[in-house]
Amino acid sequence: MAHDNQPDFSMIIASAVHDMKNSLSMLLHSVDQMYEELPNDIKQKSNATIVKYEAERVNSYLVQLLGLYRLQNQLLSLHIDEYFVSDLLDEQSAHYTPILTDKDIDLNIDCDANLSWYFDREIILGVLNNALNNASRYTKSVIEIASYTENDNLVIEIHDDGEGYPDNLLQASPGEVINNINFQTGSTSLGIYFAEMVTKLHTQNGKTGSISLSNGGRHGGGVFSVRLP
Amino acid sequence: MVDSLVENKPKKKKQPDLEKLYPRLKFLIVDDFESFRSSLRLMLSSFGAVHVDIAYSAEDALEKCRFNFYDIILCDFNLGPGKNGQQVLEALRANKRLKHIHLFIMVTAETAKDVVLGAREYQPDAYIAKPITRTVLEERLGQLVIQQRELRAINKEIDLENHSKAISLCIEKLTDKSRYTSWCHQTLGQLYLKVGDTQSAINLYNSVIAKREVPWALLGLAHAQLKNLDYQQACDNFNAALKLNPYMVEAYDGLTSCYEALNQTQKAQSALETAVEMSPRMVLRHEKLGKICQKNQDIERASESFRKAIKYGEHSIHEKADNYLNLGRCLSEQSDGDFSAEGKAMASEAISVLEELTHKFSIDESACLNATLIEARILKGQNNEEAAKDKLHKAECMIEDENLSPDVGIELAKTLYSLDEQDRAEELLIDLANKFSHEPEVLAQIESQLDEPESLTNKKQAKKLNKAGIELFEQGNLSAAAESFKEALSHTPRHAALNLNLVQVITKLYREEPDSNLLDLASSSLKQIKHIPEQHNQYKRLRYLEKQLNKLQSNSTQKTGV
Repeated sequence: MAHDNQPDFSMIIASAVHDMKNSLSMLLHSVDQMYEELPNDIKQKSNATIVKYEAERVNSYLVQLLGLYRLQNQLLSLHIDEYFVSDLLDEQSAHYTPILTDKDIDLNIDCDANLSWYFDREIILGVLNNALNNASRYTKSVIEIASYTENDNLVIEIHDDGEGYPDNLLQASPGEVINNINFQTGSTSLGIYFAEMVTKLHTQNGKTGSISLSNGGRHGGGVFSVRLP
Repeated sequence: MVDSLVENKPKKKKQPDLEKLYPRLKFLIVDDFESFRSSLRLMLSSFGAVHVDIAYSAEDALEKCRFNFYDIILCDFNLGPGKNGQQVLEALRANKRLKHIHLFIMVTAETAKDVVLGAREYQPDAYIAKPITRTVLEERLGQLVIQQRELRAINKEIDLENHSKAISLCIEKLTDKSRYTSWCHQTLGQLYLKVGDTQSAINLYNSVIAKREVPWALLGLAHAQLKNLDYQQACDNFNAALKLNPYMVEAYDGLTSCYEALNQTQKAQSALETAVEMSPRMVLRHEKLGKICQKNQDIERASESFRKAIKYGEHSIHEKADNYLNLGRCLSEQSDGDFSAEGKAMASEAISVLEELTHKFSIDESACLNATLIEARILKGQNNEEAAKDKLHKAECMIEDENLSPDVGIELAKTLYSLDEQDRAEELLIDLANKFSHEPEVLAQIESQLDEPESLTNKKQAKKLNKAGIELFEQGNLSAAAESFKEALSHTPRHAALNLNLVQVITKLYREEPDSNLLDLASSSLKQIKHIPEQHNQYKRLRYLEKQLNKLQSNSTQKTGV
């Protein structure tokens, strides 16, 4: 229990996270700048993409932490508008182009250029960022993002050809991924937790957004999918 | 490395002419950090941009924009001390240094919604979140540059205010079922509203809403309904839009207009207060809130609002003498007869505000005249009779009787009343009423002066009690409300609205406790204001309440069998 004169710890964390995010943003920027200035032959050999990838990863965690803090304190509200799904996919995958090129991984996007849908842009970008981050870590040679509509839902799937999701995550019944996350084992799957929380905020005509995990899919690896009504 | 991505996207063809577009565009980067500025510039050059200007602060950006139009401005939200990115955007739009054909892109360190969406009435064309990497910027900016080119023809007509041409171009664009359908719908709706074709706007918004309830369509529909004077429906839709997006400040403005039209001025005030809280720097909104508070006799809030209107309006195009005068008027009422330290402070604030006005707007003769007249009342309110008379005399020397404007006339009358020159005040008002008999607004103001010729202290007391009475009435505490109105009437016995408030409470109270004394009290109240003429703003209400009271009286005589 918090004592009266003790500040709320989660608030302290949140503001620390906020500062960290800003520093990281500067850091990422500088790395980017340094990278651009490198001669091409050194570019190839440098570990810059790994630095960038890991920094992006930390950044994505921080964004999620802040998001969760807001969610818990009811400071997070949605700004639903209509967006082109392909713009969103292009933009988010652009973050990963350097690292994927480096690792020789193909990235395919299967989405009608004119497909548009209603959602909170920043939030869904965050969800995609996390999924792509995961996929680029575990896939072997390919990532495919597929998006289409089905029964008045927008579906976005991220397929890879890695080992797939572990059983404990897969066994979750739909809409209950959270319950299968074990904070004790160190594998927090914070990203999945966050994705589930914020996807659920999207509702329309009594239907609620959801995420699901499966194995197999187009490339025989893991499939992360988001459904938005 | 980007090429691999392009190859893998069979369905979306990358626009090959982007490379040709970039060299033709003029860019402005606004950021207070050197490293961000230079790396952004580097990125833009790598896309093919040739003309890139740099600004290191808000002031610098505005200065650069004074001499140049930029096709694309990339502006950081956080620019250190002074103006932020949002204010840069507002200033550019207000000064017409940013046209529809130009793009303003806000760069934010946090997710946009925290800081920026709160004040979204001047929306940037896009947000880009930091950290910005080259690949992300290339992707995002590419989309925007292509969109800008695709919509340029329409935006150009909008900039030239050729609205009907813009409408037909929008309709034409919609037929190619391009990816800009939603943009065209939004723009078309706004254009219909601008040219006054509310029916087309309503049809358009309804067709969008039929597919999905998006906030902008609900907002547009509500605005169209407001224009059609369908206040209730407009209210409902403004509220529906707010439910989907609580940050939609414009919806609160809409609600304010609805409530004002429905004469629910308390609700209007609280809707506008919410808007002001969300977006605290909008000068016009403070000004409007001040006026509504004045109407609601919430003088303290009114002062606060005018104070802010002055503060945020400084050096802007919204700086107005009226805000200074209104603050002076409010403070004069608040300080009247209040000799405490607080009262004195308000009086001296008022004087300095009005002096600032005469300094700033020295060429506006009638504003300066009004200021002098208000100063006279403030001095009188602090018992400084001599100085007050001097001011009045000074003002009267400036007035030319022949072309006395109604607002100076009414100000003069108020001051005459306050300096105990009732006869001259009434004579002046009657004179004005004859002169401006064809101007209902002026007449209404004159009436309210004639209604309440009592000294300002009495009026102030009465106003307080009246307000308390209304609150009690709204809470359902009828007998306490009646007491409050009765006491208020002891200060201003012939005040029309106040008498009617008492009558209204009584007609309701009587149903709870049928005491015939109540009915007598109500009839004597009505007698007090029998004199009000047909064009008086309370006349209809008087007739209505008269009828209500008659009904109650005839019922009560039947019951007692008399």
